[in-house]
Amino acid sequence: GAMAPGKKITARIKRTLPVRGPQAPTLSELMRWYCLNTNTHGCRRIVVSRGRLRRFIWILLTLSAVGLILWQCAELLLNYYSASVSVTVQFQKLPFPAVTICNINPYKYSSMKDYLSELDKETKKALETFYGFSEGKSKVRRSVDEWNSTGSEFFKQIPLLKLEDFSRMAIDLHSGQKRKIEGSVFHKDSSIVNSGDSNDIIGFQLCDANNSSECALYTFSSGVNAIQEWYKLHYMNIMAQIPLETKEKSSYSADDLLLTCFFDGLSCDKRHFTRFHHPLHGNCYTFNSGENGTILSTSTGGSEYGLQVVLYIDEADYNPFLVTSTGAKIIVHDQNEYPFIEDIGTEIETAAATSIGMHFTRSRKLSKPYSDCTETGADIPVENLYNKSYSLQICLHSCFQKAMVDSCGCAQYAQPLPAGAEYCNYKKYPNWMYCYYRLHEKFVKEQLGCQQICKDACSFKEWALTTSIAQWPSTVSEDWMLRVLSWDKGQKLNKKLNKTDLANLMVFYKDLNERFISENPANTLVILLSNFGGQLGLWMSCSVVCVIEIVEVFFIDSLSIVMRRQWQKAKKWWNDRKRDRPGKPPQASDLERQGHENPVCIDEDLPTFNTALQLPLPQDSPLPRTPPPNYSTLRLETAFTEQLPDTLEVGQR
Amino acid sequence: MNLKKYFVRALHRLQKGPGYTYKELLVWYCDNTNTHGPKRIIKEGPKKKLIWFFLTLLFASLVFWQWGILINTYLSYNVTSSLSIGFKTMKFPAVTVCNANPFKYSEVKHLLKDLDSLIEAALERILQPTPRNSSENPSPPLNLRLWHQIPLVLIDEHDKDNPIILDIFESNLTAGGKQTPVGNETAAGNQTTVGNETSCSHHGSDNCTYRNFTSAAQAVTEWYILQSTSILSKVPLQERIRMGYQAEDMILACLYGAEPCNYKNFTQIYHPDHGNCYIFNWGMDEEALNSSNPGAEFGLKLILDISQQDYIPYLSSAAGARLMLHQQKSFPFLKDQGIYAMAGTETSIGVLVDELERMGYPYSDCTNNGSDVPVRNLYSQYNTSYSIQACLRSCFQNHMTEICGCGHYMFPLPEGVNYCNNEDHAGWAYCYSSLRSSIRHRQICIDSCKETCNDTQYKMTISMADWPSEASEDWIFHILSYERDMSTNVTLDRNGIIKLNIYFQEYNYRTISESAATTIVWLLSSLGGQFGFWMGGSVLCLIEFGEIIIDSLWITVINVIGWCKGLKQKRAQMRYPDAPPTVSELVEAHTNLGFQHEDVGALPRDEALPPEPGTPPPNYDSLRVQPLDTLSPDSDRE
Repeated sequence: GAMAPGKKITARIKRTLPVRGPQAPTLSELMRWYCLNTNTHGCRRIVVSRGRLRRFIWILLTLSAVGLILWQCAELLLNYYSASVSVTVQFQKLPFPAVTICNINPYKYSSMKDYLSELDKETKKALETFYGFSEGKSKVRRSVDEWNSTGSEFFKQIPLLKLEDFSRMAIDLHSGQKRKIEGSVFHKDSSIVNSGDSNDIIGFQLCDANNSSECALYTFSSGVNAIQEWYKLHYMNIMAQIPLETKEKSSYSADDLLLTCFFDGLSCDKRHFTRFHHPLHGNCYTFNSGENGTILSTSTGGSEYGLQVVLYIDEADYNPFLVTSTGAKIIVHDQNEYPFIEDIGTEIETAAATSIGMHFTRSRKLSKPYSDCTETGADIPVENLYNKSYSLQICLHSCFQKAMVDSCGCAQYAQPLPAGAEYCNYKKYPNWMYCYYRLHEKFVKEQLGCQQICKDACSFKEWALTTSIAQWPSTVSEDWMLRVLSWDKGQKLNKKLNKTDLANLMVFYKDLNERFISENPANTLVILLSNFGGQLGLWMSCSVVCVIEIVEVFFIDSLSIVMRRQWQKAKKWWNDRKRDRPGKPPQASDLERQGHENPVCIDEDLPTFNTALQLPLPQDSPLPRTPPPNYSTLRLETAFTEQLPDTLEVGQR
Repeated sequence: MNLKKYFVRALHRLQKGPGYTYKELLVWYCDNTNTHGPKRIIKEGPKKKLIWFFLTLLFASLVFWQWGILINTYLSYNVTSSLSIGFKTMKFPAVTVCNANPFKYSEVKHLLKDLDSLIEAALERILQPTPRNSSENPSPPLNLRLWHQIPLVLIDEHDKDNPIILDIFESNLTAGGKQTPVGNETAAGNQTTVGNETSCSHHGSDNCTYRNFTSAAQAVTEWYILQSTSILSKVPLQERIRMGYQAEDMILACLYGAEPCNYKNFTQIYHPDHGNCYIFNWGMDEEALNSSNPGAEFGLKLILDISQQDYIPYLSSAAGARLMLHQQKSFPFLKDQGIYAMAGTETSIGVLVDELERMGYPYSDCTNNGSDVPVRNLYSQYNTSYSIQACLRSCFQNHMTEICGCGHYMFPLPEGVNYCNNEDHAGWAYCYSSLRSSIRHRQICIDSCKETCNDTQYKMTISMADWPSEASEDWIFHILSYERDMSTNVTLDRNGIIKLNIYFQEYNYRTISESAATTIVWLLSSLGGQFGFWMGGSVLCLIEFGEIIIDSLWITVINVIGWCKGLKQKRAQMRYPDAPPTVSELVEAHTNLGFQHEDVGALPRDEALPPEPGTPPPNYDSLRVQPLDTLSPDSDRE
């Protein structure tokens, strides 16, 4: 009952839409029929042409046209993923970038004295023994023995060495003993290898604490570099053990750093700045960090309408070994970006007005499959340790930090802490320095795989800076300026300001043009299809219909014809065997049945080749059958005979 | 009777045409069209017929859909950019050189005398808040007229709600007042008092605004600028030019490539910010110079003197030369694009010309010469070309003259308007500062100004070195002093002298030029490609289709006419019981003969078949003519 309507419908379809087999009885007939009736241009010429040469030429031409189409379409497909670049310039109100300002010196020297006095003493001693330098009275060389008696943990951990020559002998500055150097020698300045002058080579040795024979010697061509590197290593060790609050307290406060602030023609103060603690630069202050949800914007270009700040750089309170230059460092960045101030900061001179004109460019690349970049960084298998949006720099630093934690057990001081890790110090991890140097060597040589894993971000904002410097304050305005600024600084500062303690900074948009460089897909599917169509049409006047025709004729129909042939052969063979065996004579009934099952008259719902399997070849049936059905072969013949005189005529003329 | 003639002719045409019924017409069309799908519909058995019918429909709709997309793409007027980088002989940029300080202090001292003594006294009061020893006040009596116009005050904001406002000279306390929230108050607990400036719209009126500054230095500078602007705006232009730095004093040496040049090669222009500015290679009078070699040797070398000793002390605290590279015939907007050069140094500037050539409307919303921008360009009086900076400033000045009634000193004047000064326009400072901080007015200007289509920027690589070196200092100063002042005394020093090298880099241009991504040719070939891809069609196929539509319209017309006739006849012959067959009936009868078979495809196949001996098929051609014969007299009779 339930099946009845369905059956009804199929019955109806059977009745109204009878399936017939391919109209040509043989393959060659089919081909001929196809060539004559197809919409493509070459094929018809093959059949119609008279003469072998002409036919051959047409076959060749048709085949080469097919070849050309395939080639061109393959080219089109291969070039599908290409991008075109468009540059748009828009004049508009622009969001002002975040400007992060740091003092080059991270912590007030006076407030860090408790932690660093020991190290500084050692450093001074080293300077004295190495170079005969001492503050105040120089060139008074103290005896090594005296120093020895004090005993130094810093030099025990990382001995500073002076290399005699390349004979692998070195003088330990601490003990004064000569000793043989084992392990590999790394040169921080590779050029000295060629200089040949080995007398001045100085370096330090890092040994694997677990296996003291494993040592690496780092040498520098200049003592300045060597001492600074050596100092930095110890410094990081010490800093890693100090809690963050203490560090923040001993660094500069916003009141310390910022004397005046002026933005877009209006006064601003420290509340417009957000503190941000940088491991190497101490407290930095970000203007317009967007932390309170609002991002300032500029609707007028020019120096008056940007950010103008006067910075107080307390040069007297600088750490003499850690930093050797004076001034501030600034970086212009997006609110979502992490300021890598140690890598790409711009230095600001004191006693000068630095004017920084900005030009804003935004770029967008197309991500996969057009280029190998990442939109959000979510597809990169490196955890983002920074609380900011993804960038290549963040990825590389995070990757290195991860490798550091994995292989050394502790985290490097300059980068954020991964979960569950702590910063390296040689109380807990006596081996970390050796490990760090080894790892860093690997990282630089791209052996850690970080450079392969990390991809660049697809979209980025760039502020191109034009920096110029003017003298500030001018000689005639110096006097009143310093007086008023001292007053601004307030009561707690009793001394009069010196102009070398001040830096004036102006950051402004040169123009409000935003340049937007974007990649767009050069091809869309629509264009690809029309290019296909153009190619098909140009060479053969072909279309999708032709393709369907080809599938129909060359696959379905030819297959069914072949199958039909096989079936008939099998049947014939079967009948022959049957006839041979029981001797059943009458073939007429067989023939008659075949006649009834004339392919065109068959009413079958099965696919064409199934019907064909049951069918005999029409030509095998006795020819004089009346009435002749609407038989397509006949029509084909007529079409061909009609065509024939035409071509003959043309040929005769 | 023309219509009738036309009618007859059309019918005649139909006679020769594909058919006189819709079915016949369609079949004929399907069989004879060059579009690929329809032919298939009528060629094979009913199942395939159905499949092909739907396929053809599908393809046709696909074609139309894709055409829609293509036309949309075309109408969005996309552009593609091409980039070229290299070196070529290019016009050397115009170089504008100014002194950061607009006037020689020695020349303007008499004008600013009152103001200076006022500010000195004010600073004295600020820095020593408890003097009260008026006995030792040897300074001449202060001219408090200027002061009353715009007084400097101290605002004590320990109590947030009732800030105490203290006039520096009068020491009277005006609690309350109308405090504008701009700049914000200092944080609670902050001990410092804030240096402030107020400007009242009218003296004595209540309509006052206090502009807060967190820094006294800023407040003093801003106050001084406002006051001096007002004073200097009354000085005639010729006088102002005379008070500024003269070319022969400022430009000590000049060398362009191998050719010597001097201050006479510079065009003087009066710039409100920086006084006299001098432009090299402006291209106003003569052809612009070309540079065909990269490198400092082939660029412009200048030695300037900014004579820092003669700076106005309160006006500009930064000392140096202000310079800017810009295009020929454009106005230099130094505050926006200018850079500083420091005294006592040699500044080298490598130039890369960064050009962006855009296509105008409808591809992007830019302007070629500013003629379609609804802002009167005030900088056209300098004979300079349109630029967005000029437009914005003109826009501001136009607003200013509309609202405040006078023009700001920093911008050129429209006709018939004077510069603002405290005497004639008492409330101008209030008006100006409220206009300046008005976001709405800025937005109006941003919206009405358009950027230029050809945007040229000069990318500069700036490097600096100390100059002159200590060893060469003596003789260089000696020679330069001698040349300028004809004296053997050294009149120059490190604080004034500047060396500049401006030259093209190895690659001196980077041009991004736009071209239309979609042209009409592109559109046509894409349309053709789509039509060809799905259906193998062309424009001719569309024409064919149109033809068929016209034909079917005609058939409709004929049918309607026939039907009307039949109706008429029927009515007329109602009384006869045996009505003769009407024309339409006849037509039906004849045409149906060929189509009794379900199979639509049968007709053309039958047509194509030659008459077979023994079984004469109906002669369609003769049949086809017949009903028309019966028809045409009908229409003739009309």
